[in-house]
Amino acid sequence: VTGSAADIVRRIRAGASSAASVLTETKARIEARDPNLNCFTAATFERASREAAAIDELRARGQPLPPLAGVPYAVKNLFDIAGLTTLAGGKVNAGNAPAVADAPLVARMRSAGAVLVGALNMDEHAYGFTTENSHYGTTRNPHDRARVAGGSSGGSAAAVAAGMVPLSLGSDTNGSIRVPASFCGVFGLKPTFGRLPRSGTFPFVHSLDHLGPFASTVTDLAAVYDALQGPYPADPACAQRAVEPVSAALTLPHGIRIGILGGWFHEWADPAARRAVQLAASALGAARAVELKGAEAARAAAFIITGAEGGALHRARLITQYDAYEPLSRARLVAGSLIPASWVVQAQRVRRQVFRETLDLLDHFDLLIAAATPVVAPRIGTETLLVNGRSVPARASLGVLTQPISCIGLPVCTAPLWPGDADAALQTGGLPLGVQLIGAPWREDICLAAAHALERAGVAGFRLPLSVRSPPLDGAS
Amino acid sequence: VRAALALQGYEFDEVQIAEITLQFSRIDSVAQIILAWPLSFASEAAPVFRP
Repeated sequence: VTGSAADIVRRIRAGASSAASVLTETKARIEARDPNLNCFTAATFERASREAAAIDELRARGQPLPPLAGVPYAVKNLFDIAGLTTLAGGKVNAGNAPAVADAPLVARMRSAGAVLVGALNMDEHAYGFTTENSHYGTTRNPHDRARVAGGSSGGSAAAVAAGMVPLSLGSDTNGSIRVPASFCGVFGLKPTFGRLPRSGTFPFVHSLDHLGPFASTVTDLAAVYDALQGPYPADPACAQRAVEPVSAALTLPHGIRIGILGGWFHEWADPAARRAVQLAASALGAARAVELKGAEAARAAAFIITGAEGGALHRARLITQYDAYEPLSRARLVAGSLIPASWVVQAQRVRRQVFRETLDLLDHFDLLIAAATPVVAPRIGTETLLVNGRSVPARASLGVLTQPISCIGLPVCTAPLWPGDADAALQTGGLPLGVQLIGAPWREDICLAAAHALERAGVAGFRLPLSVRSPPLDGAS
Repeated sequence: VRAALALQGYEFDEVQIAEITLQFSRIDSVAQIILAWPLSFASEAAPVFRP
């Protein structure tokens, strides 16, 4: 069983394990488990061997070890990895030249001593919430291989959930970290918009793209987030803030004011999602329901901005290579490129107004709680979802609770809960469902401290799926 | 949708146009939410560009 990143670092520091032996174990786990899940699109074991050897050499020389020394990790395949073509889930990118350098966040992970073992599957060009990728295959949910892992960072969440790596990186434009974290039962952090540099990653929607980590514990999530932070002047979208470390401050401040998001967030949460919120709120001592009045408008604004910017980004290639694009999203991309400019401007104006109104709300609350997904992970191929009696298109609706928050750039930590434990009548099939812990801009520390409180209380937490502890299902691929 | 496709330089068959039209109709229905949203005349957009 994979240890946490903190356990691995402890073992390597103590000499109980070498980085090379950790890598050997990790490689064996990936080779045993990934064929059933399809998280990885490329392995980088040669590079990993070099990085692990460098850590072991540091230790042999008695030199200080970096904070993530010898910890294996993998990244969504929209991150540049030197020597590898950046696929961003697209066949249309497969002929591109290999990246000449690592993305800044990959370089920061390397500086922190982490060991890169591969690139991970995703929805094509991050336009999806399920990681049903027609070119590179569907990533399956480790807790039930008949179900989706969520997306678009599905490989990133599932690889951590299956215990193949303790850490991974992904991106979140409309919920692409929070939705798969919810479905796969891992912790995920979407930092404040602009906190982390996005250079060296394949873009989707410049107005909304965020990058962030996944982990199996909050301590690990905080450690990797600390390693990723810092200004990056070459990236104009980066806010250039100094590192604000959170690892040493994972205690929730006394007297914290917590609101439970109602209205839109209640309407679009099924009984299991509502139960998850209730469990988290109860554990954190929160009882006050509040409404983010512009939630529906913010979701609509995110939808329009995404369609327009995503469509514009791909328009030239859609004209010449339409058939090479993902059948599940190419018509949406083209339709997005037809959106009138006046709608986009209106969407950006709505975004600004909802942001200002939310700041007023955050004058009265330090933390807001909402479900991350309206339902537990649906079955692969699901076209329609039933949420509280409303039938909606599945792939477009899985981000209905995440889009309003990323639209206005607030930091969110998603914590995995298991609402079926508390109420068997919910019929969750033992599946997880994440809760969004939402803070004011730049207050990732509050989000992570709340997640840590839930984890320590035993309300939220990682569980190794039965599927990786039992023999593969017949016919699973 | 046909006019906008032509304006952008796309060439699609009828099946593809029908699929794109369906997608655009979904976008249109979502857009109505923000087009009806009350904003003051001078309210500014959230700019991406930060000099």
